[in-house]
Amino acid sequence: MTDGATYTAQEIIVVAGSKIIEDKKIVFVGTGLPMVATLLAKRTHAPGLIPVFEAGAMGPPLNAGLPISVGDSKTFTDASYVKGLNAAFEMTQRGYADFGFIGGAEVDMFGNLNSTMIGDYPGGYQKPAVRLPGSGGASDMAASCERTILIVPHDKRKFKEKLSYVTSPGHLDGTPNARYNTGLQGKGPYRLISTKGIFDFEEKTKRMRLISVFPGETVESIQAATGFELLVAADVKLFAPPTREEIRLIREEIDPNGVFVKKSS
Amino acid sequence: MVWTGLSPDAAREALVNKDKSMRDKRMALKEAVALFIKDGDNIGIGGFVNIRQPVAITHEMVRHGFKNLTLSFQSAGLAGDYLAGAMMLDESRFSIKRIELAYWAHESFGLSPMFRYLAERGKIEMEDWSNYNMSARFKAGAMGLPFLPTRSPLAGDVPSSNRTKIIICPFTRRKIALVPASNPNVAIIHVTAADKYGNCIIRGTDATCPEIAMASAHTIVTCEQLVDHEVIASHPKDVGIPFPAVDAVIHVPFGAYPGACRRHYYFNGDHIRRFHAAAAPMQKGGASGALKAYYDEYIYSIDTFGDFIKKFPADKLMADQAAESYNCQRPA
Repeated sequence: MTDGATYTAQEIIVVAGSKIIEDKKIVFVGTGLPMVATLLAKRTHAPGLIPVFEAGAMGPPLNAGLPISVGDSKTFTDASYVKGLNAAFEMTQRGYADFGFIGGAEVDMFGNLNSTMIGDYPGGYQKPAVRLPGSGGASDMAASCERTILIVPHDKRKFKEKLSYVTSPGHLDGTPNARYNTGLQGKGPYRLISTKGIFDFEEKTKRMRLISVFPGETVESIQAATGFELLVAADVKLFAPPTREEIRLIREEIDPNGVFVKKSS
Repeated sequence: MVWTGLSPDAAREALVNKDKSMRDKRMALKEAVALFIKDGDNIGIGGFVNIRQPVAITHEMVRHGFKNLTLSFQSAGLAGDYLAGAMMLDESRFSIKRIELAYWAHESFGLSPMFRYLAERGKIEMEDWSNYNMSARFKAGAMGLPFLPTRSPLAGDVPSSNRTKIIICPFTRRKIALVPASNPNVAIIHVTAADKYGNCIIRGTDATCPEIAMASAHTIVTCEQLVDHEVIASHPKDVGIPFPAVDAVIHVPFGAYPGACRRHYYFNGDHIRRFHAAAAPMQKGGASGALKAYYDEYIYSIDTFGDFIKKFPADKLMADQAAESYNCQRPA
């Protein structure tokens, strides 16, 4: 499978993310690496993918290149439908988004994400140790997209037993029907892609389960970098390294300026 | 505390008593800011992150000086930064009491050192929502309703960070969130084009600008292009904000710069980073010199936003215009 391409941790996230997206589906795309993965999917196996951006563009071809914001002018050119934030989220509530593609600063074993604050909640809410940007549209996507794909760089401090703050609800506490019982729609987290591997959420317990390891990693090395006990699939796969062509597309055509995929030094 | 801007009844009353005539609303930005914004007001900020943010209006607000403002927005970038930076320099001259927000950062340009400075020192009251929550709150305000039912926030910590009420829907018997209307005292909005009466055309994302304008008691609009009423009236369905919702119209080319404005200019990332670099030392516990120098050079020592734009080399402005014309190629 391998053709000897060298790649960075961000590049393998992008390649893995693009492969999870299915063709001809509506994908609600969050800012950052999800945008790069979406463009890669569109240029490889999913030309019929329909991106939606929360600032209000549906179905742009993205011919002007990588947007650097989810409200970027590039998301509006030749889009099929252009409104504002309310329209994008109303469509999502209605069920028009097959996938939501979001990131976060911290994740727990049930795929709940934090992008609000590091510190003590609620006691330290008004004076957090580190103030992060806030939900943006992530908590809405987590609440209403049919399935969500999460991207979190793998680090013991980011894969935590208990989050400082739950911004975007995943499988909550993992109890049966937890999402439905709180009024949420959609099936919740479907896959998580880290810098070390790909995970799903085991059907019964809704706990994060390793299904695919990236080259150079093992089940043990990934568990060692995780702040909670991972489930491990019976047939963990070795994820094929990115091909030269995939890396060329990312570096030369999709993100040539290194806006989201940092250049290796 | 339920209403941090106008209550729905007070918002209704403000409109009833307002002169809604179709009159020439052009005035100087200085005049508009002094006339409509008061200390303690709740300000609804238009745009989205660094797209079509009302940057020129925030510069004028900083020059004027205001105290104890509440800022309401979904996702902010530069508009929030300019107001917050002024507070970092001198709280007796400019201060923010509270923010109701979904997001304050810069996507690919990183976090906001101004927001981190104020938040991590406990200098502002925060109420976290999501982009849809804030947009629905403005929409409820624009619809003349006290709340809208929404499918978020229902779980996690966002509901307990704000005034959401989670109820059992009387029809489905499932849980549903109710988010309270936001009716700001003043909306500050930059649009693509407007006529002198305040009919506005918005290209690219509407963001939540129409809802914020319709929800607010007063709206100050800056526009890239000021056009004859007949030009706008020939395509009435293109009007995003109708004239009775607008109180002041100011023609300010580059009014969202160094952010972006569809069909006009793309981001000046170098300047956004430069502004952030000036605030970073204070955020890390250091001195205010760099930020003070930035504000002296770009805001306090000059009189109008046109003078701010003159500080950029013409070839840089043209390059940012050229980048945007590549984004949306169309015949002249």
